Amino acid sequence: MKPMMVSEAAIRTAAPKRVGLSRRLQRLVQHHALEVFALVFGAAIWEVLGWGLALQWLPPFSQVIKALVQFLASGVILANLQSSLSSLIIGFVLSLVFGLLVGAFMGRYRTVEKALDVYVHALFVCPSILFAPIFFAIFGLSDAARIAIIVVYSTFVIVMNTATAIRTVDPSLVEMAYSFGCRERQIFTRILLPASLPLVFAGIRLGVGRAVKGMINGEMLIAFVGLGALAEKYGAQFDAPKVFAIAMVVLIIGLVSDAIVQTLENHLTRWAD
Amino acid sequence: MIRVKGLCKEFATFDNGSGGVLALSDIDFEVRDNEFVTVIGPSGCGKTTLLRIIAGLIPYHQGEVSIDSRPVVGPGPERAVVFQSFALLPWADVLGNVTFGLDVRGEAKSESQARAKELIKLVGLEGFEKRLPKELSGGMQQRVGLARALAVNPRILLMDEPFGALDEQTRRLLQEQLLQLWERERKTVIFITHSMEEAVMLGDRVMLMTPRPGRVKEMIDVPLKRPRPRDVEKSPAFVEIKEYLWENLRAMQTAQP
Amino acid sequence: MRGIVDGTAVEGKINSFARDWGLRLAVFVAAVGLWEFFLSRAQNFLLPTFPHIASALFHLVFLEPRFWEALYISNQALVLGYAGSVLVGIPLGLIAGRLRWMDRILNPYFGVLLVMPVAPLIPIVIIALGLGLVARVSIVVLFAVVFITINTRAGVRGVEPALIEMAKSFGASEGQIWRRIIVPGALPAIFAGLRIGLGRAITGMVMVELILVASGLGRLLLEFSGRMQSDLVFATVLAVIVEALTLLAAMQALERKIAPWAPDISIR
Repeated sequence: MKPMMVSEAAIRTAAPKRVGLSRRLQRLVQHHALEVFALVFGAAIWEVLGWGLALQWLPPFSQVIKALVQFLASGVILANLQSSLSSLIIGFVLSLVFGLLVGAFMGRYRTVEKALDVYVHALFVCPSILFAPIFFAIFGLSDAARIAIIVVYSTFVIVMNTATAIRTVDPSLVEMAYSFGCRERQIFTRILLPASLPLVFAGIRLGVGRAVKGMINGEMLIAFVGLGALAEKYGAQFDAPKVFAIAMVVLIIGLVSDAIVQTLENHLTRWAD
Repeated sequence: MIRVKGLCKEFATFDNGSGGVLALSDIDFEVRDNEFVTVIGPSGCGKTTLLRIIAGLIPYHQGEVSIDSRPVVGPGPERAVVFQSFALLPWADVLGNVTFGLDVRGEAKSESQARAKELIKLVGLEGFEKRLPKELSGGMQQRVGLARALAVNPRILLMDEPFGALDEQTRRLLQEQLLQLWERERKTVIFITHSMEEAVMLGDRVMLMTPRPGRVKEMIDVPLKRPRPRDVEKSPAFVEIKEYLWENLRAMQTAQP
Repeated sequence: MRGIVDGTAVEGKINSFARDWGLRLAVFVAAVGLWEFFLSRAQNFLLPTFPHIASALFHLVFLEPRFWEALYISNQALVLGYAGSVLVGIPLGLIAGRLRWMDRILNPYFGVLLVMPVAPLIPIVIIALGLGLVARVSIVVLFAVVFITINTRAGVRGVEPALIEMAKSFGASEGQIWRRIIVPGALPAIFAGLRIGLGRAITGMVMVELILVASGLGRLLLEFSGRMQSDLVFATVLAVIVEALTLLAAMQALERKIAPWAPDISIR
């Protein structure tokens, strides 16, 4: 028994040890030195052009940053930010619930898949902003309209990824579970659910990105409150630095929400390769 | 005792209204209690299908498949399967995988974990309880699969080319280990293999099957000593049976289109 | 259960086709029924019923020349903008894919532009370029170009290095490598980028129309909603949805013709 263990233990490597955070950050920066430099260089060019060309629509980078800091410090945008974020969260949660359910049924039952796939695909490829006037007609100038837009933006990518995730679960795992006496419900909870997590999370990540886009696109159109409305207001005032700053705020929202989902994903799908 | 009588299995092909493929035809054999039967035959002889029918994983409509006079209608606690692709849960560690069969039956956690740890030790994976399948080599993964099957204390072990995905050295070691385990507790085993050495090395009897449709050509006795001595492959009896198998298999292969 | 295939169900090809579309029709009917049900409950007389929408659509397409005029004006921005995005995006993507150092420099910008929302930048474009065709075309380009570039780049990067090595070993020149290995290999991804870019361009066109409302469909929509003619609003939107889906389907058919070996890999 012993010789067997020694020879085989050498074959597969163990999981990598957890490296300290600062070391990892350090390594990250070193690795991407060129990229970081490129970004910094770009910012520098922007700065120079901004001062040099003195165009109304191209403020120097530093002015944009100044506007951004002003926003954060003075709380001017706080109310709008809150409004945007609450719509985002409500819309995303709705699309998550709806998307996961429909996707699960489509993945599990061939009939449901066949019935809905044409529509899901059409809605997936169709530019979601087209529904904005319809929701405006139905809900008027309201939060409901903006939330509905976010739902349309985000749901279908979640549906499709969830359906694929469940459909492509390794059939040998299902068979194995059946052989040990699992029935329908146990197969769902013990096999289908955990096995589909990686792909489902891929869909959720994409969904978050789409939701943020839906949030801002919707707000630009149904503009009475929120960041979109602010962007339009400052645009009308020809205040370019503030408009850029708002775009940056939205960018940050997108990056942060993606990071949150990714952290969750890494934690729950550590076992996947 | 496992008894199969007049078993026929047909698979319908999709998109084709004109009938299907006859995978098995008139299968007739018996496996006695505590017997180790190896099944060998070329591709397409239906051995995997046969195993799955006995395991209760796929239905059959013609013929009789019974265990101790009770017909097989689905999976059952007296049988456990070891899969060629290991079929381990990638998100569970070794301990979690070995206790799977027990968890499904709702056994108490502490007891199933204790039993699992015993078996993990038995298959030589002590210390690896918390590892994930992706951190293990193929041979180690299959040992987990074996431990999982043994954990539910089945009377019958159904093994579907369990060492087929492994390299030769690992395969040899696992064969030795399997025989050691089997000597301790003589379960009834049906073991599918592609390898003639493996078939003769492990089995009390070798069931030789022919393809298209799958039929049992012959049941060959393996009168070698138990436990198998170290260099049993060199013994004349071993070589004779192996050559016999090869002649038959070769004839079957060259008869194919 | 999927995993336990028995295959005793035998279906004729025609049967399954009819059954699938029967299901889809049933879903459509159910959706319309749901709509009508909600209308009756909500008692909102401004919202059109299904027959209203259908007749408005008919009216729009066949009896309203202004609709086609507006469509033409709006699509100008789409066509020019999309063409511009393709002409800029594909070469950029090809270069980024082939030249490692170029790629590393451009990569962070792609990453930022991918996540950066274009919509709030529309007022900036208006400040810079006014409200005319140039502004509209620029906005469409901004929406579409990044996705075309990124997918093209991914396609080029995705070409197996072993294939390029193989070509070099047979003495192929850079041009030949491009023509025979890289372009065909990257074609599926390029098409994916074109398809997504088209969707994005249409989004850009719609955003422009609805924010600027100076001409074209946006103006039409503003007029209809101003006059509370919600059935025409719905019909207009549906017409544009049909146009979008038709264009995308045409793109997909083109893709299947030119690059039939393509699996579905895309960055959206």
